[in-house]
Amino acid sequence: MPRSDLWSGLAVAGFGLVALLWMIPNYAGSNPFAQMPPGLVPSIAAWIMIICGAIVAAGGMIRLLRDGMLPVTREISWIAIGWAAWPFLYVSVAIWFMTFFKITWLGAFVIAGMLVLLGERRWYMIVGCSVVPPALLYFLSVYMMRVGVV
Amino acid sequence: MDFSAIGAAASEALTLASFIGIGGGVLLGYIIGVIPGLSRSVAISIAIPMTFYMSPYIAISFLIGLSKGTAAGSAVSAILLNAPGEASSAATALDGYPMAKKGKPKTALQVGLIASVLGDIMATIILIFVAIPFARVALLFGPYEMAAILAFALVFIAGLSSGSLFKGLAAGGLGIFLGTVGLDNQTGLPRLTFGYTELMDGMPLIAVAIGTLALSEMFIQSEKLRLERTTMSVKLEHRPDDHITFPIFKRILPTILRGTGVGTFVGALPGLGPSVGSFMSYGMAQKASKTPENFGKGEPIGIAASESADNAVIPAALIPLFGLGIPGNVSAALLIGAFAIHGITVGPLLLRDSPELLYSIFAGMILASIIMFILGWFGLMVFAQITRVPPHVVIPIVIFFCLAGMMLQGYGTFGLVILMAFALLGYLMKKYDYSFVTFLVAFIITPMLELNLRQSIILSRGNWEILLGRPIALFFIVCTLLALIMLTLRTVRTGKPAAGAATD
Repeated sequence: MPRSDLWSGLAVAGFGLVALLWMIPNYAGSNPFAQMPPGLVPSIAAWIMIICGAIVAAGGMIRLLRDGMLPVTREISWIAIGWAAWPFLYVSVAIWFMTFFKITWLGAFVIAGMLVLLGERRWYMIVGCSVVPPALLYFLSVYMMRVGVV
Repeated sequence: MDFSAIGAAASEALTLASFIGIGGGVLLGYIIGVIPGLSRSVAISIAIPMTFYMSPYIAISFLIGLSKGTAAGSAVSAILLNAPGEASSAATALDGYPMAKKGKPKTALQVGLIASVLGDIMATIILIFVAIPFARVALLFGPYEMAAILAFALVFIAGLSSGSLFKGLAAGGLGIFLGTVGLDNQTGLPRLTFGYTELMDGMPLIAVAIGTLALSEMFIQSEKLRLERTTMSVKLEHRPDDHITFPIFKRILPTILRGTGVGTFVGALPGLGPSVGSFMSYGMAQKASKTPENFGKGEPIGIAASESADNAVIPAALIPLFGLGIPGNVSAALLIGAFAIHGITVGPLLLRDSPELLYSIFAGMILASIIMFILGWFGLMVFAQITRVPPHVVIPIVIFFCLAGMMLQGYGTFGLVILMAFALLGYLMKKYDYSFVTFLVAFIITPMLELNLRQSIILSRGNWEILLGRPIALFFIVCTLLALIMLTLRTVRTGKPAAGAATD
């Protein structure tokens, strides 16, 4: 935990700094006549992130020093990272395909592909589980919400 | 009391559309609750897009019915699988699973169901009698009081719902920051939109809710499949001696009453979730028992204590929501979003502007409890079968509905990209123990907080001394500072959360 506290705290504080120094001055807008400038609340939020992120990182750092641990580790399990990353990549690729095809038509393939990747081999389960949800979506969008095929 | 509005509410609750909407919500909630890994907040976030075509009353009652159904359904997997559908049913598994293994699964399920329904109905009645007077008082509050109360609620939730106060506050800061994206309502200028017109209305709530709650949870579940895949459910068979009897009911009744009290108290406080309520009630029941050694070995009182408190939390969490407009947990925060989608501002103004809707929702909640009992009693065998559905089948289907929910709102591919970004954020927050509860509540209440803060600054012309004439606002500001100091000291001293509650 101390290692993750250090890095996550730094990430949060870093984001707060980027927000305070770049995002808010450039994109929050301004109004000299407003009694409460539009950047006030985002600035308060950024300060909260900076202060709290720094405290979390400092706490992690102190515990690392106390336990004599390094801030990084060599024991990286690439298999674990792969298992964590592939669903993100899979869904990202599916979203890219959705720029060309509607989710109602593509949905069955998205579900079936993921079922196979997750280890399902029974054909009737693959077909049933991948066809029914898009069919329900079709019914919901076309007949109940009347927004057409999505 | 407006009796004509109450009469109209009762008649609206007894229509066929109401039965279908609320019954559908409870049924869906039951099914989702039975599946381990799918929590109440996941269910609500996925279901919000389904309510677009419903009337506000049916939509909100559907979601509340769904919420109640998941709470009752999660007990089924806790008892038959020893894998609670959500964290708050973990206490149920302590006695439910041993009881099921002893050959009394049906009795355990019936005890859980009766405790759930009674806890839920009694807490709903308390909600009706407390929320309305609460809202009448809250109508007298001005922007100073509301800004102070909202700030207090945020600090309270950050301190109680996460692993560390500072992580909770950091998550809250991020929620506030992202909640300010969109058109500034005073200047009318785009704020933090980076030139994307799609962000003029702010970050889409559906993307934030589904991404951080549902989609990220599915990614975590699929990651877990690497280590654990098997589920062994206790089989439910027809046995003449396996059912609840009147002596058992008489034994568990006092525990149900106490559990309801605990759950209602915990639910009414922002930041404390059903997990705290159910474990607190379980602990109290064990202490009060003459045979505490039986707990953990299949004691029906343990199941009753946990389930009554777990279900009482849901209506009780609506007390601050309907009374003050403050969401005490994620489910209540999502309900604010659902109200907003239907053009309704939840809070004390709801009582003034549309009391008939408020009374209809209350009537719908009672109806949902009754439907929950009927469905649970007669559908036990069917719901028991759902526990056999393996998680690897559930994950792709839920992911599909997450993406479909975004497309139904008409955001297109841009919305899906935002959804993925929030799924990644939710995944990281859950992995590194940053409170996504605080994040989401902060995100949802930020427009209200900013509006009240702005009105306070304009009305006071920046003169802070005006607060001396506003004792309620001053009281909550002092409470906020005290809570900050006490929670900081507690975090520093113990290095642990004040409550450790994952508030759903």
